Amino acid sequence: MRKIKGIKISPGIVSGPIYYFEHSYLPVPKHFVQEADFNSEWERFQQAVQKAIVELTQVRDLVLKHLDENHARIIEAQLIAVQDREMFKSVRELMQREKKNITWSYYEVMESYEKLLLNSYSQYFKERTADLRDVKKRVVYHLINQTDYNPPGIQQPSIIVCEKISPGDLIHIDHELTLGIITRFGGVDSHVGILARAFRVPYISNITQIDELVSYSEIILDADNEEILLDITEEIKKKYRVRIKEYANHRNKIITRKVANTTKDEIPFHIYINAGFVDEVNALNPNLIQGIGLFRTEYLCIERNTIPSEEEQVKAYRAVLDKMKRLPVVFRVYDFGRDKILAMLDLDLLREDHLFDEWGGIGFLLDNPEILQTQLRALVKASTSGNIQIMLPLVMSVIDVVKTKEILHQIQAELEQEGITFRRNIQLGAMIETRRVLDELEELAQEVDFFSIGTNDLALYLIGTSRDSSVPKNYYHPKLFQALDKIVRTAAAANIPVNVCGEMASDRYALVGLAALGIHSISVSANALENISNVVRKLDLRLTQELSDKILRARDAATIYALLKKFYCEQVE
Amino acid sequence: MTSKEVQIINKYGLHTRPATVLVTVASKFKSDIFLIYKGVRVNAKSILGILVLAVEPGSFLTVEAAGEDETEAVESLVNLAQNKFNLE
Repeated sequence: MRKIKGIKISPGIVSGPIYYFEHSYLPVPKHFVQEADFNSEWERFQQAVQKAIVELTQVRDLVLKHLDENHARIIEAQLIAVQDREMFKSVRELMQREKKNITWSYYEVMESYEKLLLNSYSQYFKERTADLRDVKKRVVYHLINQTDYNPPGIQQPSIIVCEKISPGDLIHIDHELTLGIITRFGGVDSHVGILARAFRVPYISNITQIDELVSYSEIILDADNEEILLDITEEIKKKYRVRIKEYANHRNKIITRKVANTTKDEIPFHIYINAGFVDEVNALNPNLIQGIGLFRTEYLCIERNTIPSEEEQVKAYRAVLDKMKRLPVVFRVYDFGRDKILAMLDLDLLREDHLFDEWGGIGFLLDNPEILQTQLRALVKASTSGNIQIMLPLVMSVIDVVKTKEILHQIQAELEQEGITFRRNIQLGAMIETRRVLDELEELAQEVDFFSIGTNDLALYLIGTSRDSSVPKNYYHPKLFQALDKIVRTAAAANIPVNVCGEMASDRYALVGLAALGIHSISVSANALENISNVVRKLDLRLTQELSDKILRARDAATIYALLKKFYCEQVE
Repeated sequence: MTSKEVQIINKYGLHTRPATVLVTVASKFKSDIFLIYKGVRVNAKSILGILVLAVEPGSFLTVEAAGEDETEAVESLVNLAQNKFNLE
């Protein structure tokens, strides 16, 4: 047996045959075109180029505004390349000479430029083909109707092996048949990583021996231990069988019964789902769940490498609402942290910079109102499709909410004038996840319809990154529980609901603590749903009053952790 | 027709950023402008053409222009190259 080491991008362990595919693969149709259709093909091409220009201009302006001119020039180069007249001429000539469709003609011409660049002696120029590929992908994307996307043709359950995998590939491959992914390139913070984790596909990157792998009929991909096992014997297989089976069970865990909607003592309790992709939502059964408590809209941008147009957004939001029937769906407006902006721009060059650190949440959107306006318009338009709610991330001050509401009202007035129907009473909520906003809670509660607590960021703001080694997670901290208590009390006084959508809500011990403080609404990832639902069913809130007093009096994290664990083991388990 | 030879002194040669500047400037002229490098002739208003030339640092290329503002065009592109395309 042989082991090859790599870097874990998405956890899990699987065994199976290999499916090799070349990333240069783009679903480019090739077919005959009559002379009479040349002009309409050309018109289609010009429209695709126009769309690419709009997108690239937006990205360039963002980079120019928030980064520097140097980086903006790289986008500028793509912007110039996408409308290169010489290239246009070659494309038109090729189409007419070969009588082939425009998508194929464009693709061929761009390929020939890439090949020339790859043939140059300088490594530096070889690497620049990435820019050309990005331009090409963008235009081809617009040329191909997405329903025509022809995903890599996996026939049987396999582990995909390739140089580099694109988000488009990952979105469109058959998830049932994709056991795992192995690539040479691709990093932890890439959008492909986010997708792989969302779809629960084990993924290892930085494997240099890609060519070698292809000759094996069966391998084990152990992403948890960051290794690939080759030349596996029956003995080895036996040894790994249990872990592989366990992982398969975990991955396929579907919700088979209705999610709990009350505690043991019949107090209403809401468990919603966190999601970020339309495909993820499609996998949910609306008859068994209560709704989506957090839809991360920025994933739409990561999926598309750009900020989608209003129409594209409306389509995506409607798809989610339609699927969820009348269940509530909370759309969080774009939360562009540094990592997500980088993932969206997909520029390796930008990864070194730290200037994006201060970007984020509603503050960023208010600084870039055109992005916020487009998104709010799309959300309001989609509101006729279901029970829509809007949530603002990283609210720093009540002013953020007031400003957003002004924009929202203006949009509603515009839509009314345009004669477009929409739902008037859309609930608007604020995420409570910064230290600053804790000082304005009462005022804020008067301006919004609900609070949603982002415990991950809130814990970070209150406690910092230092971790008490005596507890497994930093959120068992007295400062956090005291803040949560304050938020719950303020919300109760203003008579607005409060929800928790951080990682903490899917931790069985921490969940007991949240419930004890009076939080009866949470939102968790789909794979935690079943376990958390079982905890809620067994939880008797009549017993938690004393627990809550003890938690709020505790002076350190270890005490809180011990209290919660003890309560869980004695009263819930 | 006017033409002149110039050395590319940018660190990585005529790469993406200088090429972008070059195309932007060349596009302002009415004349047809070409770059000739190692016997290959490309339109100076085409960034893709320039990129695939892969002009290496320290090497020479010829700027050639034909049209009403050809002298000015060649002069300004040569100057641009000598000034490292206003970069670095």
